[in-house]
Amino acid sequence: MGEQSERTNRIKDVGRAAGALVVGVAAVDAFNEFVPEGHRPADLLPGAQSVVVAGNLGPTAGAWRCPDHRVMEINGYDFRENVAIHVMCDFIEREYGYQAIQAASLPTAGHQAPMSMMLAAVLAGLGTRSLAANIILHPEYGMLYYAAALTTLPLDADHVLEKDVCPAPPCVQMFRKLGTTPCLASCPKDDGGCLEGEIGPDGRIAYSYYDRERCTARSQNFGTSGLQKGLLDILNEEDPERRRAMIYSDFFTQSVSSACFYKESVAQCFECMRVCPVGRTYKRLT
Amino acid sequence: MTTESAKVRNRRDETFDPAVAKDELRKEALRGGAAVCGVADAAAFTAAPEGCRPEDLLPRARTVVVMGGAAPRAGDWRSPLHEHQESMGTSERINSLGLKLAKLIEDRLGFYALFVPPGVNKGNRPFLSVQYAAELAGCGSPSLAGPLLHKQYGMLYYAAIITTFPFPVDGRSTEQVCPAPSCVDMWQREGTTPCLRVCPVDAGGCLGGEVVEGGFRNRRYDAARCTSRVYTHWIPGFQKSLEAALEEKDPERRKMILYGSFFTRTLWSMTYSAQSQAQCYECIRVCPVGTERDKL
Amino acid sequence: MSGFFFVEPEVYRRYKDQVLELSNSVQINVQEHLPREHRRRGLSDREIAERLGLEERVVREIRVVAERDRYGLDEWQKAIEFKDRACRAYAKEGASYVFEGRRKR
Repeated sequence: MGEQSERTNRIKDVGRAAGALVVGVAAVDAFNEFVPEGHRPADLLPGAQSVVVAGNLGPTAGAWRCPDHRVMEINGYDFRENVAIHVMCDFIEREYGYQAIQAASLPTAGHQAPMSMMLAAVLAGLGTRSLAANIILHPEYGMLYYAAALTTLPLDADHVLEKDVCPAPPCVQMFRKLGTTPCLASCPKDDGGCLEGEIGPDGRIAYSYYDRERCTARSQNFGTSGLQKGLLDILNEEDPERRRAMIYSDFFTQSVSSACFYKESVAQCFECMRVCPVGRTYKRLT
Repeated sequence: MTTESAKVRNRRDETFDPAVAKDELRKEALRGGAAVCGVADAAAFTAAPEGCRPEDLLPRARTVVVMGGAAPRAGDWRSPLHEHQESMGTSERINSLGLKLAKLIEDRLGFYALFVPPGVNKGNRPFLSVQYAAELAGCGSPSLAGPLLHKQYGMLYYAAIITTFPFPVDGRSTEQVCPAPSCVDMWQREGTTPCLRVCPVDAGGCLGGEVVEGGFRNRRYDAARCTSRVYTHWIPGFQKSLEAALEEKDPERRKMILYGSFFTRTLWSMTYSAQSQAQCYECIRVCPVGTERDKL
Repeated sequence: MSGFFFVEPEVYRRYKDQVLELSNSVQINVQEHLPREHRRRGLSDREIAERLGLEERVVREIRVVAERDRYGLDEWQKAIEFKDRACRAYAKEGASYVFEGRRKR
């Protein structure tokens, strides 16, 4: 095993020991085909050679069973993969003397983040993009959360998965029979939802549609967006009694709370993933 | 907590050798990711205002343990995207280590330990100046730019633990690392230093001062302007834009303010506050002290 | 004026639909496996600005406001009702709840 392969494996081991469920590496050049200038790895770290991606599960199996959606709204995502990325970055700089940074993934201009973690996960061979809100599905675990490190250290890049994870075979059969899939049926565009799609004769996604702003109203129900919407209405309300009722409403209170606790601010709708068969064994205990 | 540690917690161990205890604590700090760890005398905070001294927070405080670390990495300094470091502040990591070690002091030694909260008390004042504590613990020396500088690591983030345990005290460092020799040369040639040039108080910036006989004096620091840079998208930015929205009579223009990128970004920063403070590093970016980072 | 940059409502109204359409707001056929000629991606603020002949920061402001303005606050309330309904239905019936009453199109 060459030196580069050895250090690639060592870094992945460090990431897994730090809590990542999966770790992959993407080549920086691979991003060029999919994202514009300004959002590529070398735009964030000049001279970047590799993108190390860590993924982790979100809700526990028990959380998926809860009939109250609010439970997963406030504990569905604990950002553990970010810890693994920090540990790997420290390791790379300390042990190998190459630059490493956590790829900035928080939005800095509206919904726009400097770099896409979802694309990084695809290019690192950790999953493929699905019909369900373009969520990346890992072949074994299904939906994972991803964070990435950019480094000037050359590493062995993993390959994009050859086989699409979505649609899963049961979904292909369902589409043939019913013209829909579980995720599309859970949140259909023609019924006020976010999703629409088609599976082609080859069993692959032929068409997908995702309304991100509607999804924002659901997945970031409370937090930045809900706070802005509520605040505008409050400021525009002239009647002081009505204004008071709005300020102290449950909706506004929960919005402010989510703006204070970052774990409550995102990942607030799981309905398309709840019915997804991929990674089903991790959503239930037998 | 185990029965044994519960016994320790309730029984002060007066036989514990303070020097040994300090050495073990220091090892834990370094193992936990700190770059430096020092101890200050709780009675040494004479320049701190009343109410903001160790014994004001913990009666009968004897020492203050300070650990520094979690500085931006070499790669962080190289990113041309200012939003990168704006959204990647790493001080949270040293704070979690501080809390962990405070519990360790109480569990193992049976003495009180109080982790100094990183937030602010009434009147926007810190509970205790952690930077002052770091200086008194020998973790670094003051700089023209403002942050405490360690001779090897430059700027670090610090966490402090006030305790009734009598750790041996390190005291202030005798070595003043600012101004660095290259800054003294620059001052002699050009009448300024890298940090003063990047952010000059007389040209819309925050910093002013003079280099004299290898030290500095007459430091000027516009804290209010620095706040607009270090906390561009945080509570101060939120207050400013909320005020603008309230002042705006036209509902459509009000919408432009509340849905606009400044307010949106500010709300995200408030939500992810552990990652979104410390939003300006430009004076330290050009500082030559602790430039290990540039060797990668 | 507020002292920070924001666009005037008239500029916003004129360009918001175009900017949103060119952005990543509605994502159609973004899957990486699709052939290049079928794959679509949203444009960056810079690319939109070049196309529309606007400043990048103007495009950014229009896009950010339009993202939030796309749906009314009632959509946020409907979201709560949708999730409550879906989550409880799944707890009771499993994934089969989505197929009640569905027929092949």
